[in-house]
Amino acid sequence: MKGNTQNKWNIRAWLFVIPSVILIIAFVFYPMIQAFITSFQTGMVDNLSFGGIANYKRLLTDSTFKKALFNTILFLIVQVPIMIFLALIVSSMLNNKKLKFRGLFRTAIFLPCVTSLVAYSIIFKSLFANDGFINGVLMNFHIVSEPINWLTETTFARLLIIIAITWRWTGYNMIFYLSGLQSIDDSIYEAASIDGATGSQKFRYMTLPLLKPIILFTTINSTIGTLQLFDEPMNITQGGPANTTITISQYIYNLLFKYQPNFGYAAAVSFVVVILIVILSFIQLKVGDKNE
Amino acid sequence: MRLKKVATLLLASTIVIGVTACGNSQNSGESSKSVAENGKDSKDDTLTIWAWDEAFNIKAAENAKEIFLKDNPDVKINIVTMAQDDIVAKLNTSLSSRSYAGLPDIVLIEDYKAQGYLTSYQDEFADLSDIAKKDDFASYKTAVNQVDGITYGVPFDSGVAATFYRTDLIEKAGYTKKDMEDITWEKYIEIGKAVKEKCGVSMCTLDPNDIGQIRMMMQSAGTWYTDADGKVSIANNQALKDAIAIYKELVKSGCTKQVSDWDQFVGAFNNGDVASVVIGCWIAPSIKKAEDQSGKWAIAPFPKMKENKDSVNASSIGGAGWYVIKNVGHEQLAKDFLAATFASNVDLMNTLAEKITLVSTLNAAAKAENYSKPSEFFGNQEIFGDFAKWTSEVPSVNYGLNTYAIEDLMTEAVQAIVGGADVDSILNDYQAQAEAAVGQ
Amino acid sequence: MSKKSKVMNCVQYIILIILAFISVFPFFWMVIAATNKSVDVTKGTLIPGTYLLENLNTLMSSDLQYFTAFKNSLMIAVITTTLAMIVSSAAGYAFEVYKSKARDFVFNIILLSMMVPFAALMVPLFRLFSKFNSIPVLNTIGLNTPGAVIIIAVATAFLIFFFRQNTKTFPKDLIEAARIDGLGEFQIFLRIYMPTMKSTYAAATVVTFMTSWNNYLWPLIALQSENKRTLPLIISAMGSSYTPDYGMIMTAVVLATLPTTILFFVMQKQFVAGMTGSVKG
Repeated sequence: MKGNTQNKWNIRAWLFVIPSVILIIAFVFYPMIQAFITSFQTGMVDNLSFGGIANYKRLLTDSTFKKALFNTILFLIVQVPIMIFLALIVSSMLNNKKLKFRGLFRTAIFLPCVTSLVAYSIIFKSLFANDGFINGVLMNFHIVSEPINWLTETTFARLLIIIAITWRWTGYNMIFYLSGLQSIDDSIYEAASIDGATGSQKFRYMTLPLLKPIILFTTINSTIGTLQLFDEPMNITQGGPANTTITISQYIYNLLFKYQPNFGYAAAVSFVVVILIVILSFIQLKVGDKNE
Repeated sequence: MRLKKVATLLLASTIVIGVTACGNSQNSGESSKSVAENGKDSKDDTLTIWAWDEAFNIKAAENAKEIFLKDNPDVKINIVTMAQDDIVAKLNTSLSSRSYAGLPDIVLIEDYKAQGYLTSYQDEFADLSDIAKKDDFASYKTAVNQVDGITYGVPFDSGVAATFYRTDLIEKAGYTKKDMEDITWEKYIEIGKAVKEKCGVSMCTLDPNDIGQIRMMMQSAGTWYTDADGKVSIANNQALKDAIAIYKELVKSGCTKQVSDWDQFVGAFNNGDVASVVIGCWIAPSIKKAEDQSGKWAIAPFPKMKENKDSVNASSIGGAGWYVIKNVGHEQLAKDFLAATFASNVDLMNTLAEKITLVSTLNAAAKAENYSKPSEFFGNQEIFGDFAKWTSEVPSVNYGLNTYAIEDLMTEAVQAIVGGADVDSILNDYQAQAEAAVGQ
Repeated sequence: MSKKSKVMNCVQYIILIILAFISVFPFFWMVIAATNKSVDVTKGTLIPGTYLLENLNTLMSSDLQYFTAFKNSLMIAVITTTLAMIVSSAAGYAFEVYKSKARDFVFNIILLSMMVPFAALMVPLFRLFSKFNSIPVLNTIGLNTPGAVIIIAVATAFLIFFFRQNTKTFPKDLIEAARIDGLGEFQIFLRIYMPTMKSTYAAATVVTFMTSWNNYLWPLIALQSENKRTLPLIISAMGSSYTPDYGMIMTAVVLATLPTTILFFVMQKQFVAGMTGSVKG
């Protein structure tokens, strides 16, 4: 069996992967260990000294950290399900071969993904400004009587961030589902239709189970993305009003670059994110497995 | 096939750009090395200056550049407008890693932030003691730009606070100019409600991310987030409590307009959406942008806090100074520039008084002609005389090292208190947090 | 068709039209805004103006060096994408084709790196790269060089995973046949694998190029000099300026969005096909 020996993992295989392995070790794992060490140091800028778990203790009483954690998790549990659900619905609609203008709809809904996060944040900021377009429309249609303070009122500011992220990322997830659906044989759906299955039944009992691995993949991906959310709050609300839309990544940035840099504490905060991602991904994988 | 074309295109441009990029990066490697070796004789002789307000300090830098170039025609000066947040971030990143590429030679730093930088990055700022004599400038600036008796900054503008108001609207609301003089915040809110009722416009703007009003009120009573020794002083800070109470009153009064950033803040008074602005004198050029409102504005002293015995009708907000970053490569040239302009030049101040309504902190500037002229925009009021008088009444406080780190926390505290939380317990809580945040 | 399903059909179209409208509207708005004066933009006008040339002029003459940034972004995105396609696909390929226990261990470690948020790496990376500046050769990827932005995006867990998934659909017989023809392992990768997996590369190219083009946080920290900055940094700076000129900003945004839009339209078919490969198997 010549082929088998050729397919053995050997020196040539290492040559294929070694550049990636080196880069990932150098720019992910090495810095991560560094960050872990730094998280036990206290002091400002360069005057760092060993501080034990002082930084981690501070986390427990830090209201801004709690706010950042709360906001990040809020965005996660509100926005990710909405987006995934929306993307699933839209992609199953678009998968219907009889649908007219399919390509047009698909392109339109995917379009937001081509914008840079910074650029669309600025567009949203101006659309949702106090005297901006959205308020103008809402007032013209007498939906509200006073302009909504999208950027300065906690609830609306949070809502705005959620609207913005959903706008930007729904199409992206849709592409994955659409690709998945296209690899499902149409005859299954046709058979179901003949048996009298309604659209929602087909969605519930066929589409969802068939797409499960992809849903799992996109959920984990979106979770990681949301836990790292930075560009949007930074450019739309600056984390305001009064830190009620600040995210963990933005708080870390503030600790590093907005105030006098506190490297140790920033590292401690960032380790919370690592732990969160590991836990959440683990849970999602477990849940995914169980329903198998 | 299209794919193949794109791939070829990508590859071709990679090679082209790759070659140029290598050239570029080698250059940058060299230049950063030469700066690291000795900062003095960098080949590139362009002096870079950073400031943030196009209506104000950028114009000042441009005028100074003009003056300096007359005597030094060979020098190149590059003035860059950069948001204050970006300046802060860039100084922190570069100075903490000691990588000087991209840093300016001269940077304008807000007074609140100066001590933080000077103590965090002790060897990075040039000693300007010989060009900025302490007695030449308003005395309160010494606490801002000196560390251990060495002067690191050339004071620029005064931060003296004032009530800028629309006389037409105040009168329409049934009050006179006299009613605005030496008032309390309580009176200010009363007038505000009348303005809202009679004219349909708000009295002033509020930005939940920026509680400058509270800072000013505190300083009017001679206190700050930090005490005289620089220790965090939030719990049991009576002036802070009083200021928050007034702020809460202001929010509840319904006579304010919410804004979320600087652009909207300026837009509010330029568009005539608010009848007054209580802020530092440096806002004048922004107010003057609305030429159609000429003659309708006046200034009055900062309102004091009725409940607080120490509070006076004078305060300060902002204000800034020019600092030289030593290792960028043009320390001497940068010092020469400041020496010839902001550190001494009365003519420059005279020009700037007219152009940008600069309230200079250079003592000699008081004698300049334009500083005694009445201002047409402000109903022929002699505004510089008033500013100067109030400047001398501003209680001096120690801004400490971390005003903004504490202020970000305080926006949370203020929001909670406005929302109805108990003042004392919130302030106690945030005292502890602020101490942790500044590492005390 | 029954009455009910006709109604359902209608509802479906209405939903899709609304969603498509919401998705496209900001683009429409941004293009309109680019042709108007700043004051009209803030008033929320929807009528195309005649101010586009003036906006372009302001943009070009502003000291933000927009076109330098455009060039920087393009250079970084193109080099990153090209290198990433080679490095990450090679790894993804090898992880699927060659088999051993060590492989799964290494692969899982790499996947684990996907879980590390960038925020956690910000400080150490920043310090690491600042050290590179004084080391020969490595200073080409030191702070404030395009290299610093490129090098950390070349090998990503996402791409390696993506290529490995797609390689599952790659007919392994081709490898055997090529070996019999006497091709070396690297030649097989270059001459057989790469051309066969065109649509996979297309999808990966689109994703990588967009990620690189839109990258904000790391360049914000790593690139300091004005002439090194990338488009997102410039646009963000414009947005946070004291007196933002919205007409000019929107012109800048439109121009900055063009390359990714064009790339997407050109490669749309392959992109979707390539994505399909990754979700199979």
